[in-house]
Amino acid sequence: MSRIPWVPETTEPLPRVGESEGLLTWAASVDHKQIGIMYFIAALSFFCIGGLEALLMRIQLSRPDNNFIDPELFNQLFTMHGTTMVFLVIMPFLIGLGVYLIPLMIGARDMAFPRLNALSFWVVVFGGLLLYYPFITQSGATDVGWFAYTPLSEKPYSLNNGPTYWALALLCTGIGSVASGINNIITIITLRAPGMTMRRIPLFVWLLLVTSFLLAFAIPILNAGLVTLLLDRILEANFFAPSSGGSAILWQNVFWGFGHPEVYILVLPAFAIICEVIPVFSRQPIFGYGFMVGSAIAIGLLAFGVWGHHMFAVGLGVPFNTYFSLASMLIAVPTGVKIFTWIATMWGGKIYFATAMMFATAFVIEFVIGGLSGVAFAAAPLTWQLTDSYFVVAHIHYVLFGGSMFAIFAGIYYWFPKWTGRMLSERIGKCHFWLMLIGFNLTFLFQHMVGLLGMPRRVYTYPDLPSWNWLNLLSTIGACVLGFSVLIFIFNIFFSLRKGKIAGNNPWNAWTLEWLAASPPPVHNFDEVPRIHSARPLWDLAHPDMPDEPESFNTGVTR
Amino acid sequence: MNIEKNKLLMMFFLASESMFFIVLILTYAYYRSTAAVGFESTGGPTALTSLNPIRTGIFTLILILSSFTVWLGVKSLKSKRHSMLCFWLFITIVLGALFLYGQGTEWWGMIKQDITISRDLFGTTFYTLTGFHGFHVTVGLIMLLILFGLALAGDFRGPKSAGIESISLYWHFVDVVWIVVYSVIYLWAVL
Amino acid sequence: MTAFDILTTTWNFDGWVIVLCAILIISYVHTVRGHFSKSSLFFIAGVALLFLTLVSPISMLGKSYLLSANMVQHITLLLIVPLLLLHGIPASTIENALKHEAFRKFASIIGHPAIAWFFGVGAMWIWHLPSLHGAVLRNENLYIFQQISFIIFGTIFWWPVFSPIDRYRLQPLISTLYLSAACLGCTILGIVITFASVGLYASYVNPIDSLGILSYIRNDLCLTPSVDQQIGGLMMWVPGCLIYLFASMLTIIRWFKSPEEDLISVTQSGGEEFVSASITSDK
Repeated sequence: MSRIPWVPETTEPLPRVGESEGLLTWAASVDHKQIGIMYFIAALSFFCIGGLEALLMRIQLSRPDNNFIDPELFNQLFTMHGTTMVFLVIMPFLIGLGVYLIPLMIGARDMAFPRLNALSFWVVVFGGLLLYYPFITQSGATDVGWFAYTPLSEKPYSLNNGPTYWALALLCTGIGSVASGINNIITIITLRAPGMTMRRIPLFVWLLLVTSFLLAFAIPILNAGLVTLLLDRILEANFFAPSSGGSAILWQNVFWGFGHPEVYILVLPAFAIICEVIPVFSRQPIFGYGFMVGSAIAIGLLAFGVWGHHMFAVGLGVPFNTYFSLASMLIAVPTGVKIFTWIATMWGGKIYFATAMMFATAFVIEFVIGGLSGVAFAAAPLTWQLTDSYFVVAHIHYVLFGGSMFAIFAGIYYWFPKWTGRMLSERIGKCHFWLMLIGFNLTFLFQHMVGLLGMPRRVYTYPDLPSWNWLNLLSTIGACVLGFSVLIFIFNIFFSLRKGKIAGNNPWNAWTLEWLAASPPPVHNFDEVPRIHSARPLWDLAHPDMPDEPESFNTGVTR
Repeated sequence: MNIEKNKLLMMFFLASESMFFIVLILTYAYYRSTAAVGFESTGGPTALTSLNPIRTGIFTLILILSSFTVWLGVKSLKSKRHSMLCFWLFITIVLGALFLYGQGTEWWGMIKQDITISRDLFGTTFYTLTGFHGFHVTVGLIMLLILFGLALAGDFRGPKSAGIESISLYWHFVDVVWIVVYSVIYLWAVL
Repeated sequence: MTAFDILTTTWNFDGWVIVLCAILIISYVHTVRGHFSKSSLFFIAGVALLFLTLVSPISMLGKSYLLSANMVQHITLLLIVPLLLLHGIPASTIENALKHEAFRKFASIIGHPAIAWFFGVGAMWIWHLPSLHGAVLRNENLYIFQQISFIIFGTIFWWPVFSPIDRYRLQPLISTLYLSAACLGCTILGIVITFASVGLYASYVNPIDSLGILSYIRNDLCLTPSVDQQIGGLMMWVPGCLIYLFASMLTIIRWFKSPEEDLISVTQSGGEEFVSASITSDK
């Protein structure tokens, strides 16, 4: 096996991440690993804030005619919860994972543009602060929903500064996301290790590549919408003001033109995590690498063509609804391909249920539930019946919490040893997993029912109708369990940082290149990168006598 | 792909930017012609009544010419003719500034006629679209000025420079966007 | 008047369609000299689809009554028929043609991805300018020219992706970008048509009812001018893009079927008997 040394011999040991302490080394860092960890910390902080907002709402909704929170604050809470979770939790978590792992997985020293990488991160953080700034001032945070439908978000209807800050904040995170998307693309195109062709990069990197294209091409649509909204609010332009001829529907088109690709921005990296976790803990290579790549590209392209299904209730006409129904149902096909690929990977494998694998398995199940209600929503009449009810709330949380967040937790349990050099405690982790699984399903499964019974979403309280009472109470109890499980998770992080088992380079016996580096990796990542011959370079290194045969590996055919 | 990574960055950035402009252009087209809201039918100021396609057409030609001169600049960079590079950069900056002057005077004339961004949908969409384009021209001019300053200080001896090549790409993009904007706002009005 | 009547009575066997299809078939038989292969089926299917589109009620309805039918015809002729025809031409035929200096130059200029892309997307855009579209419907010769230009420009568009000769094809991932860019162009046009005010194409608002089926279309099928225009725009937008998507999936499948560069050296050092073991378990 030919080895290509990437760095010359040095006499002094190179500094490791975390060796030089002090805040400035972090704030001024352009190292992709430090930035990745900062993304993680920022996302976790916002996750706690957003979770707290959700808990407050659940407490308010625990019994009918409750007065725990007034309606104005409730409106602010659900808006901030939605915006925070989408733009400041899931996206930074996933982008941060990508930033940390992509260079390691493709055998590079850093991203293609390290300083742009740092800029992306700090702009996102700044956006987060902008979003929360009006919360602590008198005017109050934005209270028009995370989609800020016009004309409600226009100046005459929302006189406070909340929506203005909301738009500025999203513009900032948007700029950061576009920059990191383009950075990812160029890193993957230009910095792959010798021998690592596009058909040998790990599926994580592949799916992040597709996500990055979505970031680069979907976020500008939102940015255009945001600047026009800002012009309306600040310069009294007329884009979305029906009183002077503007069209409120245009905002919906622009927002969902971004919003549906955004759904896949939130979910494709989650798929990416699962694509790494499931094979390693099933001790089998992924079944159908090519199918995964193809379906990811198909999802990426289709994502731009289905936004109309968010607008079935608007009344754009029968042809519009029919076409978007069909296109939306089509997107279930590549998603289904992925689900079956994971199941086929687990099939007949020696499954080892570490916490990461438990989260990954739960992800598959919860995502299927969310996905099935999603396909159901593709039928316009069902949307007419259920839109703006708690059924939609349940659906979106099954996809984004049971989907994206469970995958993120799987990823954290899986890669934490690489980031810190120590294992997360498996015992506390399993406790966290079961509590979270129970809490999550308790919270959201019953929201399907309460939605079918007709409870509208975004209401601060409700009358004492049959069954609404106990279903909502169960939901609130579930939310408390969920909140408690997050506390356990945070405790696990602090506990394991001090007392966790030392991990070593490759605790899971995994096959992708990041496990070749030390844990945590040195600043330059690798002393030397082997020449890559297949999608499982570490397998090839460990078993030089029987390397992977790339072709059968790619198509998933076992001979 | 054997493209230098900085140029690749600029290409993807411009592709991403084009999505931004597509949305703004579609917004203009939507408000211009949709029956329910179209400003062509409301009797207020329109592109036909308040714009001068010939005057702006001349400034359009100037912008296209500047795209040509920046191309000549890159050519002289490749052939290592440093003084020619400085010259062409300078001409490009002058032409770009001329274009901005043309746009500024046009805006000033319209504002004096009380056609502002808040007056009606024509004003809103017109100022937004041309304004964001003008903003991009301004940013391009600043970048060209930096390049020009560096070139005068002796930088860019050729035959390659990621900076010059990617900023010339940016400048071409700004030019192409303007051609589309001009066609949609000015030519569509008279055709 | 029922749907069945429309489907049976509005066939229109124009002479030029028959001549065009005959020329295609005869020249194909002539170039392959009777050696038919599996890919010949694609060519014949392409000609058959071309024939069907131009003589069937779709063409009649599209010419005088429905924008949506017209859109179906355009998409078929621009995107599906050329793809089938191109796939059906044997590589050897093209290789022979490329021996001529002039054709080689022509192919290298026209086949350049940027130019081919502009031909494909441009054909779609330019022919759907309302004034030009109206002229096409009034002038039979222009109409014939339009149909033939769709096929020619469509063939040029598909050349960088599905050229019978490998070296003229783009890399699979690049061709995915090529196709998604085309999809974007198609989407924008679809959006414009879908959301434009009714009567973008004036002749469909009050068509001349030469067949006496207008009231059936308007009242029984509920295809009012606004619904018809929406369907037309959405035709371009959604199914049009799905064709590009389908094509890019085909290129990806082809990519994963082709062998990788240093595959041979790996299998030689590895050996067959270890391969199956390495796939199924790793203990």
